[in-house]
Amino acid sequence: MLQYFIILLDDTSASYCHCENTKMERRLMPLETLRKGIRFGMMENLMIQFVYPDYELPTEYNEVIEKIDHSKIKPLADAADVLILNKWQLSDLPNDIPVVLRTSKKDLFARYNELEEVLNKVERLNVVITDVETFTEDDFNTYKLVLSALSSNLERLYVNDKSPQLNLLTDRMMLSQMNNCGAGDTNITLAPNGKFYVCPAFYLDEETDSIGDIEHGLNIKNEQLYKFDYAPICRHCDAWQCKRCIWLNRKNTLEVNTPSHEQCVVAHLERNASKALLENIRKYGTFLPEQEDIKEIDYLDPFDNKDKWQ
Amino acid sequence: MPWEIAKQAIDYILAHESDFKEESVIWDFIGGEPFLEIDLIDKICDYLKTEMYRLNHHWFNSYRFAFSTNGLNYHTNKVQKFIEKNHNHLSIGITIDGTKRKHDLNRIYKNIGTEEKGSYEDVVKNIPLWLEQFPMGSTKVTISSADIPYIKESVLHLYSLGIKEVNINCVFEDVWKDEDDKRFEEQLLDLADSIIENNLYEDYACSFFSETIGKPLDISLENQNWCGAGRMLAVDAKGNFYPCTRFAAYSLRAKRPIIIGDIKKGINKNLLRPFLVLDRFTQSKKECINCEVASGCAWCQGENYDAAETSTIYQRSTAICKMHKARVRANNYYWNKLYRKLELEGKREEFEANKKDLKPEIC
Amino acid sequence: MNRKLVGQVTTVEKNEIQTLFERRNGLNELAKILTPENDELYEKLVKDMGETGTKFQSWWDQMSEKYQWESSPEGNWEINFDTCEIFLVTQ
Repeated sequence: MLQYFIILLDDTSASYCHCENTKMERRLMPLETLRKGIRFGMMENLMIQFVYPDYELPTEYNEVIEKIDHSKIKPLADAADVLILNKWQLSDLPNDIPVVLRTSKKDLFARYNELEEVLNKVERLNVVITDVETFTEDDFNTYKLVLSALSSNLERLYVNDKSPQLNLLTDRMMLSQMNNCGAGDTNITLAPNGKFYVCPAFYLDEETDSIGDIEHGLNIKNEQLYKFDYAPICRHCDAWQCKRCIWLNRKNTLEVNTPSHEQCVVAHLERNASKALLENIRKYGTFLPEQEDIKEIDYLDPFDNKDKWQ
Repeated sequence: MPWEIAKQAIDYILAHESDFKEESVIWDFIGGEPFLEIDLIDKICDYLKTEMYRLNHHWFNSYRFAFSTNGLNYHTNKVQKFIEKNHNHLSIGITIDGTKRKHDLNRIYKNIGTEEKGSYEDVVKNIPLWLEQFPMGSTKVTISSADIPYIKESVLHLYSLGIKEVNINCVFEDVWKDEDDKRFEEQLLDLADSIIENNLYEDYACSFFSETIGKPLDISLENQNWCGAGRMLAVDAKGNFYPCTRFAAYSLRAKRPIIIGDIKKGINKNLLRPFLVLDRFTQSKKECINCEVASGCAWCQGENYDAAETSTIYQRSTAICKMHKARVRANNYYWNKLYRKLELEGKREEFEANKKDLKPEIC
Repeated sequence: MNRKLVGQVTTVEKNEIQTLFERRNGLNELAKILTPENDELYEKLVKDMGETGTKFQSWWDQMSEKYQWESSPEGNWEINFDTCEIFLVTQ
């Protein structure tokens, strides 16, 4: 069931997930399209999230936007509800809103130590690895070490009564079921051209790949394939923090419901690191008592275990 | 296919033994008509045998060379020499579609003067030789809308030629017209009567009639994919790899080909994942999941992909639905009639005991 | 020609002879294309044919000893790989 409605205000709106926005030319969504989009969101009872470019919008746009309850996803801290960082500029981060850090694996592996201070300050940090599909076996090993180091930092913080959230490690501890991106299922996107897309990445990748438009409504073909029950591998997975990025799925396997090996292993390395973190924090006392232990498993890719569930 | 491409494909496959863990292999040669390239095929097969042996590959102990041929060149010296050289490892099916009028509907010579000439006469001449060399040889017949009136006569005709196993199925594509299912059902009922009344069931098999079709399927216990796409490797003349030949450009109407790799880069295993986890539930509409006669209703992942509303293999094409239901009704009639006959003759037990196909291999 | 059912082996035993049967066929067909010019492989082949033939015969000797199948001077045993049944075939 649709719950969220993402409105890309401009072609250069900041990307907050795996897909890079390479569009350089500004194209602001026409005001009338914005009005119609908001109306659509209101009628469908959706929570609207505006994704901003890095420049100030005209006054009339702000007036229209402020007429409805919404969230602002921005590359600038000013009045943002979610701040997007596309570079490792980690000074003066706000401590009251979630921060999304988009990073390559190379930068993460080289600079993860800098996150210790960030975690000491922010309420929530989402780290998005933008080139996860390029992970090699060596990268998996390195990532495991990085997660271990970050886990130690978090353990120290939690033991000292601080509880920042880091998507890679704390989400899984706190979840009791799958919590994925939901693109195409619980959320859809309206682009500046007035067309609907599964998510911003589908628009940025290929403009013809729309699922309807604001004039004629939504038209999601094979919509069941965006739902969790129709993902054969994911149905058997408990790396609940995985975003199950539909765009990455299609990019790497040609199917929206099937993740790649790299996505699965990365998610399971995070899951296992979360398991260790949870166990370590619990050594100090009661912590998340309502949460079950995260089970020990002997695989990093549920696909490799398919003989057991097929 | 140039020899160099074939060699590189073979070298890749044999060098990646850990990626191909299956105990046995079938090296399947398809064309068009494979025996038009018998010299190349001979060279490829010799190379395969030598390399599998040289590399101590586990497949050396369990392989076959398979061919589906139109039969026109079967008798030629080169083809016969090839057969003699590889006889114990060959699986050769000759495609003879049934009676002359059915066969010549589709299987015609091109570019012969102004008149179309069917190939039946030239194919049927080779059937005795083929059956002499491969006594258990079977043929594969496909049925489209225009073929329906000839089903019964064609199956019986193939039996009369000595072909004991006729594998016959309706095409998966959406070619069916109104009332085709009724006409199809009538043909199968007539065929059932002929087979039973003439005791042909004792020595001959027709794949239309099977005891296992037409039952409901439990979605949790019987959820498997039966199609082999993704579990085989198709290689084209340029050295591209496909999960099945049905995903090559020349096989598709409406979609882009799915190339999963090539002889230089190898196989991209991520592209195989959707094929290897596809199941009945994920691709089927609720109507199919809950169908009371679901068993035996087949699908082709290639046709699924080609006919789907989006670029996915996860939308099952149901063009064949009415034809399957007609087949189920005729199949029920066949088995009810046959069992009753056997019971009245006191031969039911004997029939059950002999049901398994006995193909003794001589040691 | 008469075929008489005289016994049955286990699946494991059947698999043993089937592997040898297939290997023997493969070696025989390889022998049609390999020549002494291909020294190393040819030598390997010749040795392998001998060894496989010996193992092949041993299997029949051992199984017939184990199961004491009916035999005939003019006959030979056959195995059905689908059913694991052993038949005595006489002219």
